[in-house]
Amino acid sequence: MAAPPEPGEPEERKLLGFLDVENTPCARHSILYGSLGSVVAGFGHFLFTSRIRRSCDVGVGGFILVTLGCWFHCRYNYAKQRIQERIAREEIKKKILYEGTHLDPERKHNGSSSN
Amino acid sequence: MAHAAQVGLQDATSPIMEELITFHDHALMIIFLICFLVLYALFLTLTTKLTNTNISDAQEMETVWTILPAIILVLIALPSLRILYMTDEINDPSLTIKSIGHQWYWTYEYTDYGGLIFNSYMLPPLFLEPGDLRLLDVDNRVVLPIEAPIRMMITSQDVLHSWAVPTLGLKTDAVPGRLNQTTFTATRPGVYYGQCSEICGANHSFMPIVLELIPLKIFEMGPVFTL
Repeated sequence: MAAPPEPGEPEERKLLGFLDVENTPCARHSILYGSLGSVVAGFGHFLFTSRIRRSCDVGVGGFILVTLGCWFHCRYNYAKQRIQERIAREEIKKKILYEGTHLDPERKHNGSSSN
Repeated sequence: MAHAAQVGLQDATSPIMEELITFHDHALMIIFLICFLVLYALFLTLTTKLTNTNISDAQEMETVWTILPAIILVLIALPSLRILYMTDEINDPSLTIKSIGHQWYWTYEYTDYGGLIFNSYMLPPLFLEPGDLRLLDVDNRVVLPIEAPIRMMITSQDVLHSWAVPTLGLKTDAVPGRLNQTTFTATRPGVYYGQCSEICGANHSFMPIVLELIPLKIFEMGPVFTL
């Protein structure tokens, strides 16, 4: 987000002038699923009722609800993934630091399993 | 540092800033959906054929437009408060640096392991080398280690200033007669820029802050103490 887009990187695309869907994690995914949900809900309502304005209202409501739902679901998984990445990074650092020393967790584990 | 015409946040260099960027994305998505809804309501208002001027109440709609904003505010407030309390966590800093604002430069004091005190002035345009950044580079940078919690004590010697480094998610007012504290842990090495963020006179825009974050091993060799 800090550097201007390099060639080959996705360009900034801002919905309503401020929501950068390309560079914000989960944004593009949520907006696309929301659009799909909106079309399905709105068109489905129209097929059953033949009411145009009310179907548009249902479509807009569907867009908001599906986007929000996908957003929270995706962000929750993204946060879990970031935590796992952080733990893995710390463990790799610790392994490099302590390998071969008395603090090496693998050595302790092998020692206890051989006992 | 920011690139030309940058509007968004800079990349994070501390865990708190990563959390702030995540919260910013979350709030922006909610704002986008509200804007979308308002634009749709505006469109309906402009294109409706219903022009009854005798509607006296609309209880259901009023209930919805009271409860829904309350729910939205709760959805925004909970992550916000989480980050607020995270910034106040006690983390036993390894190093304490004092930063004193003056008109129009900063003084830094490394008093933990010696009595190093120096001033940090913006490099005037005539003194810039090729590759230096105009209005951002300084003569003496603040050299700090990465991956170590650092405490900054910030105050001012004359008027209000504010010590800000956007990439670390830091902005703390320098108030004369008061000592403000902020802590941070940098996650990656580099040179990071900030600018005074409280109007303080004619050269308010010309007293930048430059942090040079280096690996702890190199910091321990004492480059900062060779000034």
